[in-house]
Amino acid sequence: MRFLLDFAWQDLRASGRSLWVFCACVFLGVALVAATGGLYRLINQGLLADTRQLLGGDVEVDADEPLPETVMDWMRERGDVSVVMELDTMLGTDAGDFLRVELQAMDAAYPLYGKLVLQPEMTLGEATGFADGHWGIALDPVLTENLGLTVGDEVYVGSLAMRVRALVLQQPDRALNAEWRGAPVLLSDAALRETGLVQAGSVVDYDYRVRTSLPTNDWRRQFYAAFPGEAWEVRSFESRGRRIAERLDQLASGLLIIGFSTLFIGGLGVFNSIQAYLQSKLKTIATLRALGLRRRRLAAIYLLEVGIMSGASSLAGALIGGGLALAGAATVAAELPMVTAFGSLPVPVLIAAAFGLLTAYAFAFPAIGRALTVDPATLFRGTAAESAHRPARWWLASLACGTIIIALVLLVLPDTLFGAGFVLTVGLLLLLLDLVVRGIRGGAKRLDDHPALTRRFDLRLALANLHRPGTPLRATLLSLGSALTLLVACAMVVTSLVRTINETVPEESPALVLYDIIGDQLDSVAAALQQLPGVVRLDTTPLVRSRIVAVNGQATSELGHLNRAQRRDASQDNYDLSYSANNIDDVTLFAGEWWDDPVEDVARLAIEDREAEQLGLQLGDLVTFGIAGHRLETRIEAIFSQRGVQTRFWFEGIVSDGALDGLVHRHVGAAYMDDAVAIDAQRRIGQIAPNVITVRTATLLATARDILGKAVAGLAVVAGVSLLASVLVLISVMAAGRSRQIYDATVLHSLGTRMAAIRRSLLLEYALLALITTTFAVLLGSAIALPLLSMRLKLPTDDLLLVGLTTAAVVSGVSLHLGARYLLRRLQVWPAILLRGAN
Amino acid sequence: MIEIRDLHMSYPVESASIDVLAGVDMTIADGETVAIIGPSGSGKTTLLVLLAGLERPDAGCIEFDGVDITELDGDALADIRRDRVGIVFQSFHLVPSLTALGNVALPIEIAGGDQARERALRLLARAGLADRANHYPSQLSGGEQQRVAIARALVHSPDIVLADEPTGNLDLRTGANIIDILFRLNAESGSTLIMVTHDNEIARRCQRAFRLNDGRLIEDEDHAISA
Repeated sequence: MRFLLDFAWQDLRASGRSLWVFCACVFLGVALVAATGGLYRLINQGLLADTRQLLGGDVEVDADEPLPETVMDWMRERGDVSVVMELDTMLGTDAGDFLRVELQAMDAAYPLYGKLVLQPEMTLGEATGFADGHWGIALDPVLTENLGLTVGDEVYVGSLAMRVRALVLQQPDRALNAEWRGAPVLLSDAALRETGLVQAGSVVDYDYRVRTSLPTNDWRRQFYAAFPGEAWEVRSFESRGRRIAERLDQLASGLLIIGFSTLFIGGLGVFNSIQAYLQSKLKTIATLRALGLRRRRLAAIYLLEVGIMSGASSLAGALIGGGLALAGAATVAAELPMVTAFGSLPVPVLIAAAFGLLTAYAFAFPAIGRALTVDPATLFRGTAAESAHRPARWWLASLACGTIIIALVLLVLPDTLFGAGFVLTVGLLLLLLDLVVRGIRGGAKRLDDHPALTRRFDLRLALANLHRPGTPLRATLLSLGSALTLLVACAMVVTSLVRTINETVPEESPALVLYDIIGDQLDSVAAALQQLPGVVRLDTTPLVRSRIVAVNGQATSELGHLNRAQRRDASQDNYDLSYSANNIDDVTLFAGEWWDDPVEDVARLAIEDREAEQLGLQLGDLVTFGIAGHRLETRIEAIFSQRGVQTRFWFEGIVSDGALDGLVHRHVGAAYMDDAVAIDAQRRIGQIAPNVITVRTATLLATARDILGKAVAGLAVVAGVSLLASVLVLISVMAAGRSRQIYDATVLHSLGTRMAAIRRSLLLEYALLALITTTFAVLLGSAIALPLLSMRLKLPTDDLLLVGLTTAAVVSGVSLHLGARYLLRRLQVWPAILLRGAN
Repeated sequence: MIEIRDLHMSYPVESASIDVLAGVDMTIADGETVAIIGPSGSGKTTLLVLLAGLERPDAGCIEFDGVDITELDGDALADIRRDRVGIVFQSFHLVPSLTALGNVALPIEIAGGDQARERALRLLARAGLADRANHYPSQLSGGEQQRVAIARALVHSPDIVLADEPTGNLDLRTGANIIDILFRLNAESGSTLIMVTHDNEIARRCQRAFRLNDGRLIEDEDHAISA
């Protein structure tokens, strides 16, 4: 064994840099898998380490009004209770800036779990109490950053001027989406009431957190049994954890799949580079066999070499990936209430390294097997060559590795369905690719004898290179083709997003969007806006929050065609309803029609397509909504689609005019004006109706651009890494075929073919490859991006094919052109030297 | 002793087959030096390949001290080559990733023998290459590479040394030098030397010479020196 190890090591050392592609491919794939897997595990463990803290209690009862004292007594008998009132509103500054925030008024028992850390250090009571003629507040650092506030500054909430007393450095139950939903502002219950924001029509959430020693399911069951028929929702820390875990799982599965894809593409690089390497070792292999080294021991040498290389590359990739995961987790930890659990990192990092080793072996086994078929007797006859025989055992070993990889993928991916889909997609892709390759090879072979090509020697040579045995067509299509597919899909999505933000939104959007206008504020808000110069139009419409209580007469909680989680979501989710007048949100019907006739016995309903899909609703279905103790019967007359990122109000349902009369307390509005006027309008509304939330489209756009910028950067990284892996594969393909091409060219040249013709045929071969790869990538990339854009993101798809085509053509053209140029440079060597070298 | 009886070997060429060896018989005593001569394509190399156990004959047997190697499996043949046979190729076939010393030590290391490096170094010194021991094949001339190959073939004191045109890739002067070394070292080890050659002069230095013609082996009394 010692000899084998020594020999393998010496052989590797003497190989110089010829195996760098092998190492780079394994390194890149493992680093990505380790980074994504590690980050997922760190965030998962960190966030879910104590979901009691995230929820604020063992159980939470959510209500939109204060619970009666009898309920409070019932809860207090079964544990400690803390109540948090939450209300969205605008926070104003002396500078006249307004920003949407979430007011949180909590009692003295807060927090039941975890610790609230304020700066300067003080209690919540001290921070939010009344002193020096002002109520105090504690601000999330996001607000101090965005509004340029410091401790001691005065701010305005509703009709109350308040003093910033502290910053919230750590809040155990800070919402994960607080960044964009509205950063928390902590104040006292008394101060909240003095703001004047709590009134009829206000949307105030009352969260009653309970610390109990009872199992949460028992507590919930007992609560529902004690207070049947109430609309209060009981959530447990476990269900909260489950929901977060589900979202994380989906996200992590997507990221991990990118890592696995890169590793898979890199595997082709491993195959090609190890094959090229072993080709150069055929004489050595034959010599060792002639010297009496048994085939098994010879195999051990090359298996050891693969092990050393892939082990070192996997280790380096795992370490770098682990480092990236830690850096990512540190960034996330700064935004989310999580504790980084470093102990959870080794497992995903080791699994990533195992993936690297397995992938390397899966792709290296067939190449080693073939190399070992070299007949030592050929040493007596000049050249050593592999036999055409494909050793079944090595293919079986490769298949075994592949099976373990698939099993591991399914095991490691948090979303198994996602994983199965990935494996299936890869399988189908390989099958499709094989069919395409066979088709192209068949076509190229047929063209070989075509009379039109009789005098086109260079083209015939190029076509022959596409169908000859060992053509790089399959490897090129699979590596560059799949990376380009991803790139085309990314380019299409990014282009559509950029166009939507830059062109469509500014022209069609109102400058100011208003939320939570209480009924009696409508006139004063409208009047305030009309007084401003340049205000073109104000559209308002009611907004009523409801829940679906029955479908076709059957209670939502008993709908047989939904699973348990879907029934739970359907009965607990809020549905925002409005009227169709003005079509303020500019929704588009894609099934049914708007109605003209007034309300009859049953109100007409247009429902949002995604809701309809989730609930399995169709035209004609009867939907019963529950609104503040009332029931509203509706019949689905139409199904509409939101306008994606251009949607402002996100209505789930639009009912016939008049159906909501008597139930409307709040309105939303859209005001059209110049942005400069919108700033004034925002201030004016902040003064006369401080509870009304106003959002300037310009601010929305800035946020959207920020998110878009991050999305573009993310997509660019994904596409870039994938492209890098495919370029590595391409290099390995060229390295594998280089000696053959140089030898062929030398022979052709020595037979009298002009070098110009040889170069032309090579360029033609690569041009054909670029054409095929581009077509493949555009077709597949469009098949991914266009449905995603039109059906999921609801974004325009005009002219995107041209974008995809240009992207694919430029990238494949440049990559393959560079490859061809590299080979052409090698062909400039004097043929006599090449001939000597070839022998 | 090596005993070859009624050896047949043919190679398929398209739909037909060419009989390269058609009933070869030969007996070689231990320590003898034997030359196989004949025109190109006469089957000299095929005979050597069969003697090395690298291919199987269509018929006939090759016995090493009474053991028919044509009946052995691949691993047993590998062991025979490892322990009892040394081969000198026309194109040297040194392992490029190993130094001259590493190449010469290879047969002993494959066999798991002791003092491989010391024994290899001694033999390299006998071949006049002590100062080149740590050079890689690419840093050696053709003659030096062949001397390393000869040392590699003899380092484990094999019973049989098979040499395939050992001077075929070398100039005359270097070739003569190589042959001197081969004969000298072989004489010191006492191995049986079977050498394929085109060169009548080299054949004359062997105790016996055989000529291969039309697939048959005929002893050429004129070429060989008296034993």
